[in-house]
Amino acid sequence: MDFFPLYLTIKVSFTATVITAAAGLVLSWLLAKKDFFGKTLLDAVIMQPLVMPPTVLGYYLLSALGRGSALGGFLSDTLGIDIVFTWKGAVIASVVSSLPLFVKPAKAAFEGVSVELEDSARLLGKSEFAVVRSITLPLAKRGIAAGAVMAFARATGEFGATLMVAGNIPGVTQTLPIAIYDAAQSGDGFTANILVGIITVFSLTVLYVAGRFLKGRD
Amino acid sequence: MLPADFLKAGIKVSIRFDLKKSIAGFDIDASLSLEEELMVLFGPSGAGKTLLLKLIAGIIKPDKGTVAIRGDKVFDSGERIDVPMRGRRVGFVFQDYALFPHMTIGENIAYGIPEKKDALAAEAVRGLVDLMRLTGLEQRYPREISGGQRQRAALARTLAAKPGILLLDEPFSALDYQVREKLRADLLRIHEVYPVTTLLVTHDLEEAFMLGARIAVINHGRIEQVGPREEVFYRPVTRNVARFIGFKNIFDGVVAGIDANGLIIHNSDMGAVRADAPSGGGVAVGGRVTFCIRPEDIVVVRPDKTAVLSSPSNVFDAYVESITGKGSTQMLFLKVGYSHVAGERGASIKAELPNFVVRKLGLCAGMKIRVLLKKESIRVIA
Repeated sequence: MDFFPLYLTIKVSFTATVITAAAGLVLSWLLAKKDFFGKTLLDAVIMQPLVMPPTVLGYYLLSALGRGSALGGFLSDTLGIDIVFTWKGAVIASVVSSLPLFVKPAKAAFEGVSVELEDSARLLGKSEFAVVRSITLPLAKRGIAAGAVMAFARATGEFGATLMVAGNIPGVTQTLPIAIYDAAQSGDGFTANILVGIITVFSLTVLYVAGRFLKGRD
Repeated sequence: MLPADFLKAGIKVSIRFDLKKSIAGFDIDASLSLEEELMVLFGPSGAGKTLLLKLIAGIIKPDKGTVAIRGDKVFDSGERIDVPMRGRRVGFVFQDYALFPHMTIGENIAYGIPEKKDALAAEAVRGLVDLMRLTGLEQRYPREISGGQRQRAALARTLAAKPGILLLDEPFSALDYQVREKLRADLLRIHEVYPVTTLLVTHDLEEAFMLGARIAVINHGRIEQVGPREEVFYRPVTRNVARFIGFKNIFDGVVAGIDANGLIIHNSDMGAVRADAPSGGGVAVGGRVTFCIRPEDIVVVRPDKTAVLSSPSNVFDAYVESITGKGSTQMLFLKVGYSHVAGERGASIKAELPNFVVRKLGLCAGMKIRVLLKKESIRVIA
């Protein structure tokens, strides 16, 4: 029994969640608290992976990051970073597909922090950064935590986009969902059953924990 | 005790502003100057009171104008000065207090203290907790204390930041009557200990009278009158101000004559009414004026006792339409100048009398009486 897919899935999901949370916090704060040109468009672009087939998303990423593209060529030739068909590709696919699941609850949580509380802090002499750190973030923390859990769960289940960008290389880029597909295709019902069992228990646990976060008291 | 420098922070700070703003179909255009005092900004709901405070604090940006605190411009549309909220040293207490729900009362109060040294900050918190009667509540969260305590905690938090000026937006409106009475007294006491220049917004007449050494009356985004409390309450300069400050009897008339005793005004319902001429002048024979009298200034006389009146002028026949109790007083709805048929023409006048007077005179609905509108009680607005 090869547990590499499980190890890789945890590594990819964890890395992707950190990146998603960092980018998602900035994006959801901007969308919730600031007015700027192109805000609605930015919101739509972030949410698009929710409604687009993951293969289409993967195809976009493959085109953008492959060595044949300007960005992919630059990363590979100048910085020596290869994205496509590496675990980094799987991370990027997970980030893009989990971002909307983070931004939705985080943005709602930021919007729920009253401007009056933030203005009170400003009037008490606090800078914008201090206001975010001491008022906005603590009061939005429940929605942010829920978003992070959802993003992590989405990243562990990522299949289509990951397959397109990272491929299915056993021991290199074969994540849990891809390994299940592989096992089922090759008639290895034993492996498929075990992996399916793991991911079922895992995702149920994650959703339960997320639910507790959202329902819990302040 | 509060550290000594706290007591000095807000002293002798002037605010001067002249602001214009159009927002959602509402225009505000107001200028005011106050110094080392507690001024009440009084006006009906929707007059622009809260908006004006937000413009001064920098929460909403004015379209045009200037705001100067202690002579320093914090906003000037011409010179493109717009100091952000954190730099204005404006203390602002929101109507619903805006205490931080995730912090204890102690943490809330300490939040805006500029001192870096913990010992000084702790001393300041202790002093404010003491001053605001919040002892023992420092570890509680805002949702765990009463409305009156929340209001005092919000004031303590605001004062802790040592504001140059203090803006209070309807600070007592969310509280019940008894708590409000006590907190008004608290505010006056605190203002004596910490005499920070304060602009307090209210739509409550009693509150305005109790708290404001000076009062500014605002209506439709314009300040219609500013002056010492008595001046505004007894000598309103516009019909609206008269209405807001409780001159419930407001009439139109034409000046029929002017002599050494004052004015003779002709009113279509009452006939000739004598009144003192307004000190500002501006009246001429033939000119239209507004004149008004407070309900509590109306003297009611039984028709059979008219002999006690020394002067026969300004005495009118009246008919009691109805009487409504108001607690310790009763409001009489009268028709004056009636032609012996109830309800036919005549000026409607409200008279407010103490209960014992109503009882002693045996007043009841349907009764014919006489009223005296004392000449010196009538306020004429040119």
